[in-house]
Parts: sequence; C-alpha cells; structure tokens
Amino acid sequence: MDTKQADFRKALREVKNLPTLPGIISKLTRMAEDPDTTTEQMGKVISKDHILAAKLLKLVNSAFYGFPQKISSLNSAIILLGFNVIKSLIISSSIFELMESQDMELWEHSLGCAVVCSVLAKRLEVSDPEEVSTAGLIHDIGKVAIKMELRRECEALGQLVREKEISMLAAERELLGLDHAEVGGWLAKSWNLPPKLVESIACHHNPTDAKDEKLTAAIIHFSDILIRGLGYGHGDDVWVPPLSKSAWEMLNLSAQDIDEIIEQVEEKLWDVKGFSLEIQSELERSVTS
Amino acid sequence: MQQILSLQAAEGMVLAKDVNTPDGRILCGKGTTLTASMIDRIIKMEVGYVTVEGHPVQVEGEKSLEQELADIEKRFSRVKHVPPLMYIKKKIMQRTVAGRKGA
Repeated sequence: MDTKQADFRKALREVKNLPTLPGIISKLTRMAEDPDTTTEQMGKVISKDHILAAKLLKLVNSAFYGFPQKISSLNSAIILLGFNVIKSLIISSSIFELMESQDMELWEHSLGCAVVCSVLAKRLEVSDPEEVSTAGLIHDIGKVAIKMELRRECEALGQLVREKEISMLAAERELLGLDHAEVGGWLAKSWNLPPKLVESIACHHNPTDAKDEKLTAAIIHFSDILIRGLGYGHGDDVWVPPLSKSAWEMLNLSAQDIDEIIEQVEEKLWDVKGFSLEIQSELERSVTS
Repeated sequence: MQQILSLQAAEGMVLAKDVNTPDGRILCGKGTTLTASMIDRIIKMEVGYVTVEGHPVQVEGEKSLEQELADIEKRFSRVKHVPPLMYIKKKIMQRTVAGRKGA
C-alpha cells in the first residue's frame, strides 16, 4: 500500500469531522449491559435529550418500520425495537443531520433502501426485521465519512465517475484504494454496533464476503439494487450495480414475489417522501427561526 | 398515481389511497371522487398530502414519460445480462407507464 492510501485509511479511521457520538450512547451502553436496568430507566435517560427523543419517535413511526399503530412513548419504542436498534438509531440520527443538510439524495436513497429492507425482511420472516431495516438505513455511512474527511478527494471522485462513467465504488477503489463499504464497516465497528450491522454494511457490495450474517448482507445488497432501479440513486453514478448470484439464490424470490415487493415498496415510498419533505421543511424552519 | 399537496386537490380527482387524519383515522377512503366540501375538510384537518389516480398535476421541471423511460433504460444498461434485474426493469417500466395513465 502506498503512503497516500495509508493516509486515507488513517484519516477515515480517526474520523475527526463526524459529529462526536452523543455521550448518551456510552451511558446507554453501560445501562444495557446491566441486567437490572429497566426499560423505564433507559427511556428516562433518552428523554432528557428532547430533540433526540423527538427524532427517535419520528424515525420509529416512519414508513420503514411499518408498525400498524403510532408509537407515542419511548418506552414502547425500546420494547418494540430492542436496544440494538435504538442505539443504531441514536447514532444514525446524528449522522443523518449531516446527510439531510448536505446530501438530500443520499438521505433519500438510504430511506428508500431501509423501506425495501423492511419489506424483504418481513417477507423472508427474519427474526429481527427492525435490525435489518436499520442496517439498510445506514448502509452508506461510509460515503458520509469519506465526504466529511476527504473533501478534496471527494470532488475528484465525482469527477472520475463523470469522466470515466464508472460507479462510485470503482472510483473509490481506484483513487483511494478503499471503498465506502469498508469504511462503513470500520465506523459501525468503532461505534460498537451489533455484528449484524457491521458485517452487512461492510459487505453490501460483496455479500458473499459475509461470514455470519449472509442473509442480512444479501437483503441489504438486493435492497440497494432495487432502490437504485426505482430511481433512488446517488450522484452521477446512476447505474444499477451488479447482482451477486449467490445472494439472489439465497433470497429465493419468485416473479410473483418481485411483483408484490415492488408494489409494497412503492406504496411505502409515498409515505417516506412525505417524511423527508417534512424533515426538510423543519430544517428550513429551524434555519430561519 | 400521484402524490399532491392537499392545496392542489381539485373536484373530480379520485383518491388512490385512503386519506388519514394526523391521528390515524380515515377521513375519505380510496376510490372516493373528491368534492369541494371534502377538500375543505382535508385542508382543515391539516392533512398535507393526498394521493390521487392518474397524474393530474403538472409539476414544473418534471420529467416527461419518455424521459423517465430513457432514465430507467440507462440505469439498467449495465446489467442486461442479469435476468432477474431485467425482469425488475420491465416491471418498473410497466408501472411507470401505468402511473401516467389518465394524465
């Protein structure tokens, strides 16, 4: 590896420009490790941060979790989603603040991917569909990190994609010697996210590399492809990426499944569109007020 | 099907999805033809968006159907050898065309 690539790695591993994780995370992690901690106690800690609590409830009630009833309390959110998902959501809500304000397209791609993940996870009857949706929501955090840490290279990446008409992934590998999936995996790991999320983020372009979480990785991989096919891509890299044959076989979807999945996804995407418009207008309000 | 601002709703449009109040009750069901008084009620209940059949509202800067189909073609241009993805492409194209019917 040349020194330049080593520098990129170092910068991305240290990620100085990403928002520091709220102190609340380490507190909650400690609480979760203590078997005597109750849901009420955890809810109380989260609710001390009003903005965070409001954001969490909003995410929990958004279309990609698809709970039939509105969840109005943090306690029920913690019970329904489990601690792993709540923790990932707290982390992603701080990352998304950046995404919403800087990169609406990536945000919509991520929301859309989470919607497809949720539809697929329920159809395949996986044991924890919410964790899979959350993985879909943050599968591209590596892109956010690259954008924040390597601003200059980021412009060059965009240029490379446009000039050579290659995918962002190929451009990242060519220019940086690493890619956003790898970076996302490191980040998720450094934040102590559950292995299911770490591995499926790291392997979303090469799901066969996943060791323990093959199915989750396959779901994220396919969801990313489908949502791009539906036009929720990112930047100049508009092409639907290649489909891993083994991931496709693992999902074992029939033509009828595909028809129903597309229908359900489109239906839910309407709600997500409303959700992201709402967030946008809130952002505008908070800027003007 | 098109999602429009409630303020853009007009008499005679047909709902493609239920309209719910912010607290989750159904205000008007899917398939209902909107009347002026229904639209008033929808706006009074602070429902921001409704989904209607066809594509009645022309949005400035919106792509034409031909452009949308060309975009889909381009997106899938590098996976032409992958049968499942070609099936998905065909479905997305069909839905795009069907969504514009009645425009």
